[in-house]
This record gives sequence, C-alpha cells and structure tokens, in this order.
Amino acid sequence: MDKKTQKYDRQLRLWHAHGQAALEQAKVCLLNGSAVGTETLKNLILPGIGSFTVVDGKPVAGSDVGNNFFLTVDCIGQSRAKCVTEMLRELNEEVAGYHVEEDPVDLVENKPDFFLQYSIIIATQLPESALLKLADICWDANIPLVVVRTYGFLAYARIVVPEHTIIETHPEQLLDLRFDVPFPALLEFAQSFDFEKTDSMAFSHIPYVVILLRCLEAWKKRHDGKLPSNRDERNQYKQSIRAMQRNDLPDAENFDEAYAAAHRAWTETKVPSPIRQMLDDAKADAITPKTPNFWIIARAVRDFVANEGRGLLPLAGAVPDMKSDTESYVKLQTLYRTKAREDCNLVRNRVTSLLASIDKPADAITTDEIERFCKFSSHLKVIRYRSLREEYTLNTARSHNIGQWLQDLDSEIIYYVLLRAVDAFYETHKRYPGFHNEEVETDIGLLKKCVTALLAEWQITSATVSDDHIHEMVRAGASEIHTVAALHGGVVSQEIIKLITSQYVPMDNTVVFNTIKSTSSVFVL
Amino acid sequence: MCDAMQTDNDVPDWEGRWRDVYTYLERSGPFAIDGFEPGDEVKEVLHTSKILVIGAGGLGCELLKDLALVGFRDIHVIDMDTIDISNLNRQFLFRSSDVGRPKAEVAAEFIMKRVPGVTVTPYYGKIQDKDDDYYSQFALIICGLDSVEARRWINATILRMCEENEEIKPIIDGGTEGFKGQSRVILPTHTACYECSLDMQTKPTTFPICTIANTPRLPEHCIEWASVIQWPKIFPGKKLDGDDPEHIKWLLDTALGRANQFNISGVTYTLTQGVVKNIIPAIASTNAIIAAACANEAFKIVTSCAGYLQNYMMYVGDQGVYTYTFSLEKKEECPVCGSTALKLEVNPEAKLQELIDILLDRREIQLKRPSLRTSSTSLYMQAPKMLEEQTRPNLEKKIGDLISDGEMITVTDVALPINMRLTVTFAK
Repeated sequence: MDKKTQKYDRQLRLWHAHGQAALEQAKVCLLNGSAVGTETLKNLILPGIGSFTVVDGKPVAGSDVGNNFFLTVDCIGQSRAKCVTEMLRELNEEVAGYHVEEDPVDLVENKPDFFLQYSIIIATQLPESALLKLADICWDANIPLVVVRTYGFLAYARIVVPEHTIIETHPEQLLDLRFDVPFPALLEFAQSFDFEKTDSMAFSHIPYVVILLRCLEAWKKRHDGKLPSNRDERNQYKQSIRAMQRNDLPDAENFDEAYAAAHRAWTETKVPSPIRQMLDDAKADAITPKTPNFWIIARAVRDFVANEGRGLLPLAGAVPDMKSDTESYVKLQTLYRTKAREDCNLVRNRVTSLLASIDKPADAITTDEIERFCKFSSHLKVIRYRSLREEYTLNTARSHNIGQWLQDLDSEIIYYVLLRAVDAFYETHKRYPGFHNEEVETDIGLLKKCVTALLAEWQITSATVSDDHIHEMVRAGASEIHTVAALHGGVVSQEIIKLITSQYVPMDNTVVFNTIKSTSSVFVL
Repeated sequence: MCDAMQTDNDVPDWEGRWRDVYTYLERSGPFAIDGFEPGDEVKEVLHTSKILVIGAGGLGCELLKDLALVGFRDIHVIDMDTIDISNLNRQFLFRSSDVGRPKAEVAAEFIMKRVPGVTVTPYYGKIQDKDDDYYSQFALIICGLDSVEARRWINATILRMCEENEEIKPIIDGGTEGFKGQSRVILPTHTACYECSLDMQTKPTTFPICTIANTPRLPEHCIEWASVIQWPKIFPGKKLDGDDPEHIKWLLDTALGRANQFNISGVTYTLTQGVVKNIIPAIASTNAIIAAACANEAFKIVTSCAGYLQNYMMYVGDQGVYTYTFSLEKKEECPVCGSTALKLEVNPEAKLQELIDILLDRREIQLKRPSLRTSSTSLYMQAPKMLEEQTRPNLEKKIGDLISDGEMITVTDVALPINMRLTVTFAK
C-alpha cells in the first residue's frame, strides 16, 4: 500500500477513492484568517483538499495570536493572510496553499470575478452588505458559499448554493429484494429448491429469501395473483411460513429471518415518491450541454423506468447476509448482481444516447458514476437551498416561522435573532455591543432597541427575546473563543467535505450551536 | 514589532493575548454559574489549574491545542502509543518524520513550541502505571481514549478517590467514530458515571463460529477464518499482530484462498486490515468537534463563567447536523457509583456455571472472567492457579447448595476495576 493510501486509510473507509479524488480537486477559498476560518481549513487540509487560498487584508493583532493556533507572536504586525497560510500549509505537504493580501470586501466590490476560480468559498467576519453582494456573485456562478461565524459561546453557519445533488447519501440499509415482483431468474432459483427431499441440515440453510418467495408464490396461486392485503391475510401469510418449517431442524434461524422479514413480501416495490419527483424534475426534461451529469443520468433512469424497467428503478443489486449455505447464498447474490448489471447497462445505453444528442462522448460520464446512481437510485437526494437574498429580503424572509419558533423558549432560533440584531447594531454604531467593559451596561439597552426593531420589521408580535439573553449577548462582546472556534471549525468542515465529495447529506440551511448548553438546531431560513 | 509583557510568573504574554477569553472572565452575566466572580482571581484559577488529558491521538491532539489556547497552562498528557502513518490524516501535531515516536512526547513538544507559556508534561505509558497521588493533583481529567476498558479503569479509580476524599474531580469524556461522536461530563457521585452507561456502547460485530468454519458467505467470514482458525493452526503460540504488514499479507492470501474456494468476492487488503484490527473510520472534523466540546466544558467548569453540559451530548454528522443533549441518569445499582447491589433471581437448582454465564451475557456489566465470593467463602476464583483448581468443582454444584436465598455475592473481574455486589434470590 502506498504511503498516501496508508495516511488516508481511516477516511477512505468513509468516502472511498472517488470521494478522495473529489477532495483533491477542490480549490477552497477562505475569506479572513479568523480562528474559526483557520480551524475549518485545518480539517480540510488534513484530509487532502487540492488547494486553499486565504484572502485577508488585515495585519496580525495580539488577540489574533491569542485565539488562533496558526499564528505566533512574531507574526504580529505582518499580513494575517500570509502568516496563517504558512502555518496551515505545514499541516499537509500534498496541499497547495496561497494567500491574497487584500480586504475581501474590496474584492467583492471591485473584482467579483476573483471568486469564480474556486470550488467553494468560506466567508468569515464579513459585514452584512458585503456578504449579500458576495452571495449574489456565488449564486449566479453556482459556487457553494458557506457563511461561518462564532460569537462568544455561539456558533452559526449557513450553506448557500442553488442546488446540491447527492447520489451516495449512505443510507443505513439498502434493501431491494423484489419479493412482490420477482424477476424470472430469481423466481426460477426459488423454485429450484426441493423442499420435500432436502435433508434437515440443508433445509436449515435455505436462504430466507427463497422461503419467503415460495410462500408468496403459493399464496398468490390461492388468491388470484394478489398479495396479502389486510391484517388477517398478512397474519395468515406469516403462519404459512411457520407451517413450512419442519420440526426436525437443528436450528430455525433462516425461518426466524423469514418470519421477521415477512412484511417485505407484501410491501409493494415502487419508485419512492421523492425519487419520482426527482426523476420528473424539469432539469431532466431538456438535456443541454450545460446539464450536469446527475440530471443526464436521472433522465436516462426516468426513461428506463417508463420502458424496460416497467415502472421500477434499476435493481440495486446488494443482498444482505443471511443464514444460508455458501453455494445458495453466492448463487442468490450473483442473480441479483447480474440483474442489477443488466439494468445498469440499459441505463448506460440511454446515457450514451443522451450524451450523443448534445455532442458529448460516451465517457463524459463514467460507468462507475452510472453504476452508483443505479445502485442508490432509491436514496438519491437533491437539496435546493434558499438564497441569502431570499433570507434577508423582507417579503421573502421566513419571519413568520421565526416568530413561531421563538415561542419555544428552548429553541436556538433566538441566537439567530440576536446575531441579526448585533449586525444591525454594528451598522448603526460601527462597533459591536459590549466590546469594551465600560460599554456593557449601556449597550444592553441599545441592543434591546435593535432586537425590538428587528422583531417589528418581521412583524413578530407573539414572542420576545428575554433581557437575560440580550445581556449575555452584550457580555459576549464579539469574542471569538478558541474552543468554540475549534468546535465550529469541525462542524463546518464536515459540511464542506459533504458538499465537495457529494456524499452523505449536508444540512439545509442554517445551523446554530449553543456551546453553553451544548445544543444545536438546524433551520431553513 | 510586538508588545511582550512579562508577568510575575515570567510567562510571556502580549497585549491582547487573552482578549477573547477574558471577555467572559471580566464580566458576569445571567448565564454564569451561581457564585461566579469576574476579575483577576478567576483568571489566576484558569491559568494555574492542573489538567490531565488522557490520550494524545485524534482527540488528544485537539484537546491539547484547545486547552492551551483557552488559557490552561499546566497540562499533563498520558498516551501509551507511538505514532503510525495512518494517524497523520487527523493527529495534526505529528509529521511523517515522527512516525515511531511516542505520541505523548511529540504532542507535548509541538504545543509547547507553538503556544508560549504552556507546560505540557507527557507520560509515555499506561494510565494504570500512575497512582492516586498522581491523579489527585489534577483539577479535572479529560479523556480522549479509544477503549472501553481504559475508560472504565479511570472512571472507577477517580470515583473511588472522590468517595474516599469527599471531593469532586470532574471527568470529561469524549469519543468519536466516523461522523459520530459524544461528549459527556461526569461529576463523581453526583451524575451518572461511565460505568452507569455501559449498555450504551455499540455491540461489536461478531460472526457465529459455524458460519466461519462451515458456511462462509461474506468476505469478512473468510478473513475471520484466516485469523481465528487458520493462524493458530499454522502458527501455534504466535500472537497475531494487526500492525505487522507481514501478518496482514499472510491473512489476506489465506482469506483469498478460502474465498476463491467458495466463490466469494470482496476480500481486499483494506477489508482484511479493517476486520482484524477492528478499524474504526476516523476524520479530523469529528475529532475537532468532540475535543473542542470537551475542552469548552473544562473551561466553563473551572472558571464557572457559564453553565456546563448536563451531562451528555451525542453528535451525528452524516445526515445533516444533529445533536442530542440529555441528562443521563445515575444507576442505583451501578457497581462503581451506585449505592445498592445488583439484584438477580436464579433457579437454585441451576449450576454455578450458569450463574456466571448469565453475568457474562449482561450488556450493562460487560465482564470477561468473573470471580465470585461470599463474605465467608470463595465460590469460584479465576486466579491464582491453586485457588482456581480448588474452586473449579463448584462450577458444577447447584447454586442452592453453595449459597442461601438473598445472600450477597462479591464479583471481581479483570474488566471491572472495582468490586461488584450482587444479591442473589431464589426463584420459586
């Protein structure tokens, strides 16, 4: 095993070689070398992203060295971008690191094209107006933007991207056994077992899939081809499984498995409705040279389902372990795998045709990707995030929901409200509330005014923000404590890894972490 | 140009160094713990408190960084391992040139070099090497361990010390696995301890021996066959070392042979290693979250500047961001921190061996080789050899002949750091 595979072994077990390849192609941009920003980058550099760039116009201050692991005392006065980049690069020699000594706000205002070269942007310490402009730039370019901030013991993150598609959501279980609609080879295999003549050792090793199928076929013969459809019938069906069980068996594990899985026999195999919606999505209608791979394959699957699939998705092909002799299990596994491959080949042909229709070669989409799509077709996910503009614009903001959530006194939404109020405070007073000890007392009243104004703007009358919360927010004094930055850097980096690898499911769309009570919530804002 | 300020202790602070931390130590607020007094005293407490970090691996490296940057200056760290190349994707205090060196020592070196004024005292060895005197010097202990056994040992040791000395030495415990993790605060004698929640551990995957021996179906079965059945046959007496690439290669080849015989696909080097070493996937991000959560609790507990976790947080990150925070209840019959004995009802006609089997089966006790005795006699003792031979015949005797109804039995076990009391009543 080569050194790189050895080094990355523990993470390859989570996202495999193709996930790692996606990471290694990623170009990550961090705006402002804050503590939470560098902590986030650390957790991306260690697993081996392609490159990172830190954009920061500020010089290193004493307080920066105090809360940031990637700065030392001799950096004070020097470019913060340059210093954190040097120390971050040192974490992993395979990762390229760059820095740009400019205020991100200037770039947002004057050089918006700058951001287009990156696969993902992490924004920290940006004032609201610049943030909204940046969000527009990223949205139009379809580049994911992650807004990250910590404030005292609070942490906040927001993912912004028009659409994120996931083939490998990594569900707990992948079961596609098709008891109710057995394909010919499967039925043939089930029929090949001679239940009468088998000795008890062999009988106790008949795979439960075969047992369930035989019982089901017998049932269908007696019931006009129909599946057990009500409680009585289902109980009768279950009894018929037990009736097949012989008394002379050394153990009845396979029959126990069949009994426990009986409900799978009468559950109709069909395209799950979220998947149905996805396949019918407009993005899969007109295939153009700009259509992402995901939607091209989706279209191919849609057409497969309507034709050769006869209303069903391509077979997943995976078979769980079960009590069985080796030969029967391997035969069963091969059956499912063969059918899955056949279905996948048909999808593959359709993909090739679609690619040809937009003048693209067949290998523009790899067979691996198509295979994964087919295997996980019943667990695909498409997330369409709300834009930051929608969140911040009054008539599209989810102010009604915020008002409702606020009524639960334990809800973390209160911290979102407080952060928005703090930003409003900054716009007015050009400083953060309670930054200096002397300001705390008066700022409590001033922040309260901002909160009241915000709630009024949102027309929230049925809930308030307690004085205690406002006091604590002023107490926080816009501090960035390293433990909170480190915690949040972990949370955010994980979301970014999910976005880059397109594996597992990122949150939609805002997470607020309260590290006093150690609780968190996700909100769609 | 920098403003270096020498304090009384000759610690090289500079202007603004503690700006963010002191924000919470110079002002009080409604969410501070009752009795919190902002000012110089609490800063002194933070900077002079002795903290012990157990483990210098995935969690340990993060813990040392977090504790140092939040203001702890006197940190001790114990770890019995040396650095391996597969650590480097997350244990960021180590570089490829450090492979083979003790983790505790390299971690201490790195932190002290990067963060001025912090003393990290490493110990390359087992936690069991240290005595009560050692552990009593710490205000708080944070565990970044990867074994249930080690956690049980430190939990029982500290619990016992706290009971004997009538003090509270908090234990903060963190654990991670892939995208999941948990952090918890244990206040000895007040909250649930680690032993109270043993049944929450995920059951390790085991394969039935008849499947391994006779009807393999999965590549894992073939690997288990190679390691559990063939290895002892071909190399009797030789210990299988999951870290030795030669051993893994042998297992891989042997497993492949078996797999080919049965037409099973999927045996790979990675899978072989994974099965033999029970490898748990690990990434920097989850470790960062859990370690920081633990260090954050330490900061709040030591300074009282804000309320702390009550008392268990679970984190799951593969589908969205999900945390579940709850208060784990203390178990009355917990062998370590409980006040009552575990009650068991048995058939007096059953043999003593069956009672032992029942105990071995219990998920919430997790015994390995239990020894049982009453106040007057030894029922079955696993060691020393003479005593084991003497008491072995008792295993076949009826329970009703050995003890009386309602009698108290004391159970000791290599897995159980203390004695467990058991009240046995006879089923009618």
